[in-house]
Amino acid sequence: MNSPLITVEKVNKHFGPHHVLRDLSTYFLAGQVTAILGASGSGKSTLLRLLNRLERHDSGCIRVDGLEVCDALGNLDSLRRELGMVFQQFNLFPHMTVLDNVALAPRRVRKTPRAQAQAQALALLQRVGMQDHAHKYPYALSGGQQQRVAIARALAMQPKVLLFDEPTSALDPEMVKEVLDVMKQLAQSGMTMIVVTHEMGFAREVADRILFLDQGQVAQDASPDTFFGAQTNPRVRAFLGQVSR
Amino acid sequence: MMRLPTWPQAWNRQQRSSATVAVASAVLVLLLWLMATPLAWAPEPIGNNAQSFAEGTRITVQLTLIAGLSGILIGVIAALGRTSRAIGLRWIASFYIWVVRGTPLLVQILFVFLALPTLVPVLRLDDFSSACVALAFNVGAYNAEAIRAGLLAVPKGQMEAARSLGLSRWYTFLDVSFPQAFKVALPPLVNNTVALLKDSSLAYAIGVVELTNVGNRIQAATFQPLPTLITTALIYLVLTTVTTQISGAVERYYDVEGRQP
Repeated sequence: MNSPLITVEKVNKHFGPHHVLRDLSTYFLAGQVTAILGASGSGKSTLLRLLNRLERHDSGCIRVDGLEVCDALGNLDSLRRELGMVFQQFNLFPHMTVLDNVALAPRRVRKTPRAQAQAQALALLQRVGMQDHAHKYPYALSGGQQQRVAIARALAMQPKVLLFDEPTSALDPEMVKEVLDVMKQLAQSGMTMIVVTHEMGFAREVADRILFLDQGQVAQDASPDTFFGAQTNPRVRAFLGQVSR
Repeated sequence: MMRLPTWPQAWNRQQRSSATVAVASAVLVLLLWLMATPLAWAPEPIGNNAQSFAEGTRITVQLTLIAGLSGILIGVIAALGRTSRAIGLRWIASFYIWVVRGTPLLVQILFVFLALPTLVPVLRLDDFSSACVALAFNVGAYNAEAIRAGLLAVPKGQMEAARSLGLSRWYTFLDVSFPQAFKVALPPLVNNTVALLKDSSLAYAIGVVELTNVGNRIQAATFQPLPTLITTALIYLVLTTVTTQISGAVERYYDVEGRQP
């Protein structure tokens, strides 16, 4: 078995008086697709945002590919290059074309020449089925199309891990599938993915592992079969009862 | 506001905007260069003072350009100070804006020209430079608030997306937050710049021979205030019209969503 790509040890996080993560420890393996499930407020998104330091943890230790997640500048920039992130609200840059959105980071961070960065961006857009929209601005795209561009943008830095923060929660129902299909195809290509989601179907079908958070702790860490099978944990049963309704 | 040229339908928004900027800038340059000729055809006391009017107009435009461009730079720096996480920087920027917005421009111009040299002998500036410095710092304070409003209007998710891609703070500002902030800040910035163009007339108090000073001297010498002051006002009107044409075109250039009619 390979050693974990990401380790999280006894991490605590407070937002004011609210204790969001409590001594949380877990790990993520390379090539694994992990779905993080849990009720709202259970700390799912916070855990994801700690990994690339969009939030700071109060105590404990997080390591990504041997690098400790802390404020040391060199660490932080190389860390963020390893971790791509896809947001619930897409967060595409509205003043740039789709192509420039994808090509920006390689040009600025890796100093890739513009023409080469754009050629690579076009190839990535092809991978998510958006090559025909390369010269449009984000406002002209549907939510599902924007999210596919956001995935291509995150892939442009060739990250080792992709973090998804509720990638389909802001989408109209008919657009959820096109985004999940892209994610499924990524998972099959061997990408390491950590997905905070409410899509039980996706978690069951695509994830290798389910991490169920409850009140800032890992309440269950199981394979999808076990998790969605005969559940004994009362909290998980309550949660599954809620979402399946 | 009237829109001067109607460009071919086949051109896209950016081409049309660029064309307007090019034409308006050319008009401005031609105006500054050749305006003495048509003015010379005018009857007394304008015709025989055409060269003075042209010279005064050039000084006014120089003041506005130098102070306007430095004022935008000062405004960006002060806005970054105001929104900085360092309390010291926030305090300095707030103090600067408080003082400049709270005192008359005329007092600031007189201060830079007369009082600053007694305070710091190295800063003994001629009248034109003094006016530029005072005007630049004055418009900079107003610009700072416009740009700050723009920076605050950029959603937090934009910065998070940029940072999560590994972009440094500098590139996040340069490529992501500043272009979006600038678009929001542009209309108030244009307001400030048009106000600056007119406020540059206060430089006449320290003897800068700009447009208002020229007009005032001619009306005093000829006892004909009506034609001289009307000519002076008309030249300002032409200059502000060209300025708003250029800025309107710049706004349309950045209007990728086609929100402007």
